[in-house]
Amino acid sequence: MEEGIPMNRQIKVAVLTMEGTNNEEEAFLSFKHSSTSPEIVHLKKLENKIKRFEDYDILFFPGGFSGGDYVRAGAIMASRLRSTLLKDLEQLVESGKPVLGSCNGFQVLVELGLIPNVEGEYGIEAALAPNISNRFEARTVYLKINKGNCLFLKDFIDEEVVKLPIAHSEGRFVTRDPDILKGIIKNGMNVVSYSDELGRPQGYPWNPNGSEQNIAGLCNKQGNVLGIMPHPERVFHYVTESDWTRTEKREGMGSRFFSSAVSFVREKF
Amino acid sequence: MSDPDFSIEIPIVKMSSAQLRAISTEMNLGLSTDEMSRIKSYFENEGRNPTDVEIQAIAQAWSEHCSYKSSKIHLKKYIFGIGKEKIVAEGDAGLVALDDETAISFKIESHNHPSAIEPYGGAATGVGGILRDILSMGAQPIAVTDALYFGTKKMEGFPSPRFIETGVISGIRDYGNRVGIPTVAGGIVYSDFFSPNVLVNVGCVGVVRKDRIRSSAISEPGIQLILAGGKTGRDGIHGVNMASAEMKKGKEDITTVQLGSPIIKEPLIHAVLEANEKGLIYGLKDLGGGGLSSVVGEMLESGGMGGIIHLDRVPLKESSMKPWEIWISESQERMLLAVRRENVDKILGIMDDWDITAALIGESQKGKRLQIFFRGKKVLDLGTEFMTSPILYERPYSRLERNVVQFLPKQPSDFSRLLLSMLSDKNIRTREYAVRQYDHTVRGSTVIGPFSGIVGREGPTDASVIRPDWNKKVGVAITHGSNPFYSHTDPYRGGMAAVDETVRNLISVGAEPLGFSDCLNAGNPEKPEIMGEFISMLQGLHDSAFSLNIPFVSGNVSFYNETGRKRIPTFPTILGVGKVRDIEKSITPDFKKVGSSIYVVGIPTTDLGGSLYFRRLERDGGRVPYSDPRVLKKRGWNLLEAINENTVSAMHDVSDGGIAISISEMTVGSSIGASIDLSPLGLRTDFALFSEPQSSWIVEVRKGGEEKFLEILGEDAILIGYTHGSSFSVTSGEGKVMDVGIDKILSKWKKGYQ
Repeated sequence: MEEGIPMNRQIKVAVLTMEGTNNEEEAFLSFKHSSTSPEIVHLKKLENKIKRFEDYDILFFPGGFSGGDYVRAGAIMASRLRSTLLKDLEQLVESGKPVLGSCNGFQVLVELGLIPNVEGEYGIEAALAPNISNRFEARTVYLKINKGNCLFLKDFIDEEVVKLPIAHSEGRFVTRDPDILKGIIKNGMNVVSYSDELGRPQGYPWNPNGSEQNIAGLCNKQGNVLGIMPHPERVFHYVTESDWTRTEKREGMGSRFFSSAVSFVREKF
Repeated sequence: MSDPDFSIEIPIVKMSSAQLRAISTEMNLGLSTDEMSRIKSYFENEGRNPTDVEIQAIAQAWSEHCSYKSSKIHLKKYIFGIGKEKIVAEGDAGLVALDDETAISFKIESHNHPSAIEPYGGAATGVGGILRDILSMGAQPIAVTDALYFGTKKMEGFPSPRFIETGVISGIRDYGNRVGIPTVAGGIVYSDFFSPNVLVNVGCVGVVRKDRIRSSAISEPGIQLILAGGKTGRDGIHGVNMASAEMKKGKEDITTVQLGSPIIKEPLIHAVLEANEKGLIYGLKDLGGGGLSSVVGEMLESGGMGGIIHLDRVPLKESSMKPWEIWISESQERMLLAVRRENVDKILGIMDDWDITAALIGESQKGKRLQIFFRGKKVLDLGTEFMTSPILYERPYSRLERNVVQFLPKQPSDFSRLLLSMLSDKNIRTREYAVRQYDHTVRGSTVIGPFSGIVGREGPTDASVIRPDWNKKVGVAITHGSNPFYSHTDPYRGGMAAVDETVRNLISVGAEPLGFSDCLNAGNPEKPEIMGEFISMLQGLHDSAFSLNIPFVSGNVSFYNETGRKRIPTFPTILGVGKVRDIEKSITPDFKKVGSSIYVVGIPTTDLGGSLYFRRLERDGGRVPYSDPRVLKKRGWNLLEAINENTVSAMHDVSDGGIAISISEMTVGSSIGASIDLSPLGLRTDFALFSEPQSSWIVEVRKGGEEKFLEILGEDAILIGYTHGSSFSVTSGEGKVMDVGIDKILSKWKKGYQ
């Protein structure tokens, strides 16, 4: 671990990619517009040791359909990582560096056992199952923020209600057994939840996929790994929010996830 | 010159006309006797018989699908010359300039026939094919669009409309979403016209830096040809020939439909764009209809070159494929890259980085002959010019003199009830059940998507706006226009109305229209009345576009959408693109504030032919509303100025269902009602509310902006009411004629969708 980053040193971000991932472009741009130095890194380069996880300050798992997702969402990418890179990845997580996965990236993080990791053994404790509507859902949802110690939420106000786009067919968060869910709630790991516009929990379509406890985003206990079904990287600028022509707001809601992580790295490393 | 193990000689030189016809049928060539005779005389001159590879290659190139042999003469006459100076480049797609640095590459084309046979695969590969067309110009795809036309009745011997609809929507969803390009615009039309001839018209828009635009022509010898992407298999053999004939009950061969794989396409797009960015690509073309045969032939012929191909170097899915099958296979996800010798290794390296199969299969040579080898033996040796110049037809056509019978309906007794029933009409109500299955926000650049308004109760938009560069304020607006109901009654006015709608939609979001792409759908061109309709439609397109001076930069023609006695109307789907100078000024239809003035720009009409109002009365005939392009231009460009002057807060075009439906839709996303007085329009209430005048919009004017707005629009703008309360209420000379709660409007419009 390094001893603090001087302001003139660029923060290095790896946006992972393999066949079928998408969102790399907007994730790359979101980091770039957050004054970091992002790089789109093909999994192959990490497997071949041309690139190493330890070279980066922040890791991003993009959405999409890694490997086609013809098995189970996120399973193919996770098993590729598991076979050669799991140790490096666990080390990076334990070092406290920020790791963010959105949509398919969330699914990969769960398949890798990096979240929720209630038991602390990196086992697969949950899954993102097909939506209860049984179809792909692309829409904007309301989300209630419960910051806890999640570093990606530093720039939010606790209990604030925000809007982000979703686009997925497998986003229903289900835990392996009730104890895992209890552990998540007890530890306050359910940091982002689907709600109505006033922050109240509601059923479908407010909860677009039928997730247990309306879970939309989940953070590990240490607060440095966030998996989230909605897409912060798609609303970095306010003009890509679906209702921007009706609001006076001029800040993209997604940008706060990035600014939170960047200021965390600046302070901590 | 052939080896009977893998290629046979076809002894046509000695054949009679009857035998030639029989061979064409037997080998599934789809060629007429005249065309077969022309091939025969070519080989008489060569002093030998053709191989099966040669005759299959010619049949591909000469198919209606590849050669436009029935339409080319007319396309040239009516639409090719318009606005030439605005076209930056043409090829697999056409390009117009977005700004000094960037061009927009776009195209729409049909995937009708495959989708009628195998809806899921047909629609999916339609998306795949159009993406490759955009990529072929060196452009990054930024949006996919789709205009779908579904039947309403089950026809014996054909799949049910429900099966087709589900398959098509799933195909677009699974391909488009996986490839990571947002599906942002389109439409769904339901009509008995399309049972069983479903139409799937798919569009794509991309952007490219002007100095990175690539073409497909090869005009130097020694250029290396690399085939990259998916492997070649037996899927999609004779697809173009199938698409060049009428569909027959229970007889369609499913092997003619290709299989798509978005998970090969997604990295292929990255790899090709990376190579192009590095300046390593000389030219490129995608493999679509006719496979390698069409692509190699066209790339060489357009640059005046010949070439040599080694077919055994093509990576195969099945090793037992015969050379003619390899040569014409339409397997998906393949691109042919033309590369200078010194860049071959670099290109192969990039492909390997992205885990993409790529193989060097040949090169260009001086002289205008193409030679193909397979396992050391020559299997094809043809002049490229002969191969790519089919007979062009000026098919006989007849025009039906249509006697327009105008029809005066009885005034409805209950306008509120009529409005509510129109709102839940399948052709009006929300298409969210389909469109929300398409990812429209991926790439994080969607400024206006298919819906807008308060989250959870969004209404429809007229066009989408994409921001191609996060560092700039400029946006690309994208929309479609078509009206098969108008075209059915009057193909000429229907063609004009399609242009009108496209322009209206672009203006509605604040975009200046830049260019069109046209997908022309019709029945069997060998029938004179259909050719007559086709020409009328082209005249309509010409008269509008010429007057506006907006070019058609790309497109396609889909004939033979006909089965037994059923045929589709002859009509265009237009894909239009426009430029939004400042995305922060783009406009959506949802009302923004209570108490602002509502204007109609345009005047309702008494021509109700093809209108939703008439369709609900089950009334055929009547005069179709006329679009005057001069009026369209004046009003449209004035509205752009009004938007630029910040006087407009919401705007929606007047389309199916007239003013009544437009205003209803503006309440949907806003939760704000409207109080309307029709008396300034001086027309019968039903005409005022439900007629579909062309070149018309409803505008919510920003408070304090009225004076400026009127100064710009002049007499074209008529004040008809205010945003107000929680209902849509209408008064006319007769007093209050309608009053409907906006929540009721919302629930009817969202019928069945949550």
